Amino acid sequence: MNGQHRVEDLLREVAPQVLGALVRRYGQFDACEDAVQEALLAAALQWPGEGVPDRPRSWLLTVASRALVDAWRADSARRRRETAAALDPAGHMLPADAAGIPGVGLPGAGRDDTLALLFLCCHPALSPPSQLALTLRAAGGLTTAQIAAAFLVPEATIAKRIARAKRHIRAAGARFELPDQPQRTERLAVVLHVLYLIFNEGYTTSSGPALQRTDLTAEAIRLARRLHRLLPGEAEAAGLLALMLLTDARRAARTDTDGRIVPLADQQRDQWDTAAIAEGQAILTRALGTGPVGPYQLQAAIAALHDEAPTAEATDWPQILALYDVLTTIAPGPLVTLSRAVALAHVHGPTAGLALLGTLDTDDRMAHTHRLEAVRAHLLEQTGNTTAARHSYLRAAKITASLPEQRYLELRAARLHHPAPPANPAD
Amino acid sequence: MKYMIMMFGGLGAATQDRSAEWIASMHELLMKLDTELKQSGECVASDALVDPSQARTVRFTGGAPVPTDGPFAEVKESLAGYWIVEADEERALQIASRVVGYTEYPMEVRRIMDHSAQP
Repeated sequence: MNGQHRVEDLLREVAPQVLGALVRRYGQFDACEDAVQEALLAAALQWPGEGVPDRPRSWLLTVASRALVDAWRADSARRRRETAAALDPAGHMLPADAAGIPGVGLPGAGRDDTLALLFLCCHPALSPPSQLALTLRAAGGLTTAQIAAAFLVPEATIAKRIARAKRHIRAAGARFELPDQPQRTERLAVVLHVLYLIFNEGYTTSSGPALQRTDLTAEAIRLARRLHRLLPGEAEAAGLLALMLLTDARRAARTDTDGRIVPLADQQRDQWDTAAIAEGQAILTRALGTGPVGPYQLQAAIAALHDEAPTAEATDWPQILALYDVLTTIAPGPLVTLSRAVALAHVHGPTAGLALLGTLDTDDRMAHTHRLEAVRAHLLEQTGNTTAARHSYLRAAKITASLPEQRYLELRAARLHHPAPPANPAD
Repeated sequence: MKYMIMMFGGLGAATQDRSAEWIASMHELLMKLDTELKQSGECVASDALVDPSQARTVRFTGGAPVPTDGPFAEVKESLAGYWIVEADEERALQIASRVVGYTEYPMEVRRIMDHSAQP
């Protein structure tokens, strides 16, 4: 089991390097990506039993190069001529084992291409689901089956999504290189957002095959860690990593033994991961002030304030509210308003929070989420209006598409209800 | 043989008047049963559907398909969730009985048709 994990960690570490080396040598990101995937599958099958080769990266390069050559040979002659002329002027028929011979190895094989890969996988021409799937496979080194398991969808769905993503990348004429300024800042924001989405995808679901979902948060943290290492001067990349660590630190306390959701205020704080909190705080402290303050740093700072409170009552809500005020100025949005309403209620009372929530009633972006009603229900419960609170909990339970959330909301509603014995049980 | 064990929307409406303890025990029963069926390998698929109030219905209106808000059937009869199990009829009925024994609300058990042309 341990060996299995070691192999998986190693594969995820070297996969982007192998892919980067292949793409720089042969072009054709999509064909190279398929070839690397094949090599990863071969390694995942062989290495746990036969042992990890002395030079794992060369091994993968050799197998991937062979797969690439095989794929080209399998193509029709006509197509091969076209491809060769258009994309591979240097000629692509390498000796099958060239990549494994020292000195003949691919140029720049020692380079870390993670960054260029991340920029390519998070290309703005792709839809977010495609960006997520492609990032996990090409930059994360996960297999299609692992990604499918993490997203709880059939393997064929992910395979098609990745194929479509690669077609779009080719159609958009995207290059395997780091974009120049000013695009670079803009593109980095997309990369950060994709990693944030991967994290949330894993973090917000707590039912079903929970372990696989945890893999997704771990993978997001691993990629964010790598991005931070490659771009230590980017304060927002540091902020994102800090935010993930400070949020994930509370994972064990978020659900009880039956898989039910435990809200922040009721969590057993001794179950929080103090090492992750300390690391997140350190990264955030180093980043603050080194660049413009951005939404990830602010959210990390808010998460840190929650993590630092020994009890829910000891939470520094005035400071959290002040941070939400800044967040509202630089990155306004309905979800920020929603969170700010919670902070406002803690500082100035539930009625103030409810008044701010009222401004969201006409926001179409909130029409399909249960969160507005759920927060309203909590605040109404605090004002003592149990009838209205119960009504809001039940409304939220009807809107949500999350089973654990629905069960939590149904229970909250039922607690506010003291049913009279049914007068007519047949009804 | 595969059977689909179906739960209907009326149960959701009926739970609104139950106590928190009753609802918590029902959630526990459903989760426990789901885990058991998955561990035993009998469960082929299981899912819950969002509340029928979130459904949309596509009707053929004025010569074209038109989506409208709301479910097609009465909310009471709307499918709320299901298990597909690899089991014989007796076992499928036994599984449904465990839930109905607690909820006192009916469930439907129906065989899934074969794709092969067996005698």
